Order: sequence, then structure tokens, then C-alpha cells
Amino acid sequence: MGVSVVLVVAPLLLAVLGPLVPYDARPGLPYSPEGSLGTDGLGRDVFGLLLVGGRTALGMAFGAVVLAYVVGGLIGLVAASTRHRWLDEGLMRPLDVLLPLPSLLVISVVAVGWQASAVAITVAVAMVNVPTVARLVRAAALDAASGPVVEALRMQRESWFTIQVGYIGRSVLGPVAADLGTRITLAVFLVASVNFLGLGLSPTAPDWAVSVSRNREGLLLQPWSVLAPAILLVSFTLGFNLLADRLVHRSLVVA
Amino acid sequence: MRSYAVQRALLAVVQLAVLSVLVFVLTSLLPGDAAELRFTETLTPDQVARLRGELGLDQPAPERFVHWLGNVLRGDLGTSLISGGPVVDIVRNSIGATLVLTVATLAVVVPLAVALGIVMGTRENGRIDRVITSITLALSAIPDFVIAVVLVAIFSLRLGWLPATWVGGNLLASPALLVLPVAVLFGRTVCLLSRQVRAGTINALHAEYVVQARRLGIPRRQLLLRHVLPNAAVPGVQELARTGDTLLGGVLVVEAIFAIPGFATALVDGVETRDITAVQGLTLVLAVAALLINLAADLVCNRLVPRTALLR
Repeated sequence: MGVSVVLVVAPLLLAVLGPLVPYDARPGLPYSPEGSLGTDGLGRDVFGLLLVGGRTALGMAFGAVVLAYVVGGLIGLVAASTRHRWLDEGLMRPLDVLLPLPSLLVISVVAVGWQASAVAITVAVAMVNVPTVARLVRAAALDAASGPVVEALRMQRESWFTIQVGYIGRSVLGPVAADLGTRITLAVFLVASVNFLGLGLSPTAPDWAVSVSRNREGLLLQPWSVLAPAILLVSFTLGFNLLADRLVHRSLVVA
Repeated sequence: MRSYAVQRALLAVVQLAVLSVLVFVLTSLLPGDAAELRFTETLTPDQVARLRGELGLDQPAPERFVHWLGNVLRGDLGTSLISGGPVVDIVRNSIGATLVLTVATLAVVVPLAVALGIVMGTRENGRIDRVITSITLALSAIPDFVIAVVLVAIFSLRLGWLPATWVGGNLLASPALLVLPVAVLFGRTVCLLSRQVRAGTINALHAEYVVQARRLGIPRRQLLLRHVLPNAAVPGVQELARTGDTLLGGVLVVEAIFAIPGFATALVDGVETRDITAVQGLTLVLAVAALLINLAADLVCNRLVPRTALLR
């Protein structure tokens, strides 16, 4: 547990607090060993880049997952709690159709179309995740709603709010927490892949994934210019994977 | 069985119809069309307008859609706005490399993932299970492009054993070219897939019918192959259909790094040059492929475990 928390928190702290750290990044020669971690292909200080590059690398993924849960979660909850079959079908069927669309395809079209703005990529990554989130939340909510607890609550004449939000809403949180770990990893992957391919942020952005892409020829000259941002990304996704795995196990034990 | 297949196929037809509209809308929404992008610096606005008329870009979108769809149904994906050649040729030229990559990867991944999944599932929480689980968890957390960059640095730049980029010629004729790309694509897919097979195996092993079969004294080998595996395969097959998505993302990255002129490269080129007809054609082919894969996966699952229903 401790290890995975450290793996997640270290890059996260760097991403959040990094831009606030006053660091004097002096430009030098390309791939020179100056500074604590040397310089990259454009002669910029690698450590200075790491400090500011996390905000886009992790922030866009976080934003996308939050947005996906707000939209998808709402759709899923409404579809599960409604008594009208047409509303359920009307909300979920269109998502079934969207499900097989290749995600990187949608994102690259959007990213290039809207001049590679960070907001556009975040929204696109969120949209790609909405169908699966909606399905997951709906299934979890239906699962809880069909159990004996809800029946008992109804017989006690508990209010709609107590049942829907107090019980069903809360029991959805378990599966959601387990899903969150893998989903954030996937979002980080998607955002990083788009940026790595050069379809997203500009090739000179300090973003961690862009750094890996831009400096890959220099891996043998000045390994830290590639390895340091790569390690930060991997540490974050690995930590989240481990946490999610543990959560899944725990929810299985409880159930 | 028959009625399930018919229902599922009907859903696929509806999906296809909606997708074709989506593909068209999504690509038409790209700001700035080919006429603008190509010529704004050399042509006057007047000439741009005339060119747009020649390319058919000045007509209203619904009209263009009907025209496009009619042609697509006749197997004509239109002509590329950039090269002037038929889009069908772009598809034909680029699809080979991507198919080779995908098929080669799946040929390695599927048998290995099934074997690993069963080994892990039958030894739930044993030492072997925990070791393989940790390795697959760790491996699946590394982005494709990081693996690719590191592998290229070690095996082609440092050791010089394998080529780092495609230099032309047939991919199939030189298997050495395929080693690194397939190794990159292999990592994440094998992890995702084997974990699903493991979960399926564990579920099936705990199911009452297997416990009962064990009580009846059915030999372990027969139990695993005849009774556990079909049920364990269901999440695996569904994951395989979803893997198509992961794999496509991986293929994009791999084609970019190893300079392989495949489908993904053609697509990125098309998007960047605003070659809308090419993007529409390529996207449509991809979407249809994804639809067919999902359809096939659902039908296979239904055949394996007939209780899976279409209607919720």
C-alpha cells in the first residue's frame, strides 16, 4: 500500500507544486550534463522542464476523467433510476453505438481540428470515456436498486432522496473507486500518446510526454532527458494500477 | 441462437448507419478545409472560392453527405483532395502494413495470454499467480511509447541487433523489422488479456456446475478444457474486441516511431493536411472494422455461453 501511494503522490506533488518552485533554469548546450539532470535537445534544463511539465501531463488526464464521470455518471444514474423505459433506452442506446469508435481516432481528429488546444484534447478524452462510465454506473446502480435493501427501504416508506442518493448513490461509489484507478491510467496514456505523436501540444511544450518524444534520439547521449519524464509518468500510472488492484480485491472481499 | 445473431446483426446495421453520419460530421467539422490550407498563400480569395467549387466544398453539408454516402455504397470512397488519387488506393496501400503488425501481434499475444490466464487462474493467490500478476500489472502501466523508445535505444542504437526504422520493402519479407514493433504492441495487450482470462477462470472454477462436475469425478484436464475454458473465454473474447482499441492506439505510436507507412500514418497525414475525403474514407474503414470485430466477439461469446442476452 505504502509503495503505491508514494508512486502516485510523488509525480502528483511535482505536477501540482512544481510550477510554484522558483527554479533558475539557465539554457545551455543541447544534451550537456550541466545542471542537476543535464539539458535536453534544445539546451533547456531537464529539471526545470520536469517542474512545469506535469501540469499538462496529469492535469489534462484528471480533467478528462472528472468530466467523463460528471457526464457519464449522470447519464448512468438517470438511466438506472428512471421508471420510463424510453428514457433509459434513449440515454443508453446512443452510447452503445459510440462504444466501438476507436478512441485515439476521435481524439486525433479533434486535437488537430481545434488547433491542439489543451481544453479540446481534455474534452475529447472525456467524451471517449463517457459511454463506458455511463454503462458502469448504470449497472452498479441497478445492481444496488434490485437488492433487498432497497425493498426494505421502500417498505419503510423512506423518501426518494434517501433511497436514490443515500443508498444507491453511495453503493455505486465502490465500483466507481475501483474503476477510477484504471481509468485515470488510461486517460494519462491517451493524453500522453496524443502529445507524443505530436497531434496535441506543440513540440516545444515542457509536457512530460512531449519531452520523451522530442528527446528520444538523445537517449544515449543524455539519458535523463528521456528517462526522467518517462519515469514520472510510469510511476504515476503504475501506482494507480496497484491502488486500483487493491481496491478491487477489497471490494471482492466485502462482497 | 439464430434470433440472437439476427438481433445482434441488426444492431450492427444501425450502428453502421449512425457511425457513417458521425464520421462525416466529425470530419466536416474540422476548421479550415483543404482548399484554404493548401493555397491561402499563393492564391487570391477568388481563386480559393473557385477551387472550393471544383472540390465540391461549397455545397451544403447534407447534400455532400448524401452524395458521399451514395458513392461509398458503390465502393467509391472519393478522390483525395491532396494527391488527387482515389481514396480507395490510399486505403489499399496503407492497410497491408497495419494488418501485418496487428496479426503478428495477436498471433503472439492470444495463445500466451490464454495460457498465462489459465495458469494464474488455476493457482489463485498461489506464488506463481502472484508473481505473474505483479509482472503484468507493472508492464501494463508503462505507456507504449516509453517501451518503444527504450527498446530502440537498447537493441538498435546500442547493440545494433535490430533495425530501428522501416527502410522500404515488404514487412513480411524481413521479419527482423517486425520484432521491435511487435514487442512494443505485445506488452500491454498480453497483460490486459491474461488478466481477463484469469478472472474468467477463477469465476468458472468457483461456479456451482464446476464444483458439481468435480464431485462427479470428471478428470481435471477434461474439466478445465471442456467446462472451465469456454466460460473463462467470454471475458477474454470481449476484452480482445476492446483490445482492438488499445492495439490501434499502439499501432499509431509504433508506426510513428518505426516510420512504418501504415493505416495510422495515412490517417494522421490526412488529418494534418485536411484531406477530408481521405480521412472520411480511412475513418469509415476503421469504424466498420471495429464494428465487425465487436459483432464477431459478441457472436462468439453467445456461441460459447448461450445465456448472454442482447436485450437488457
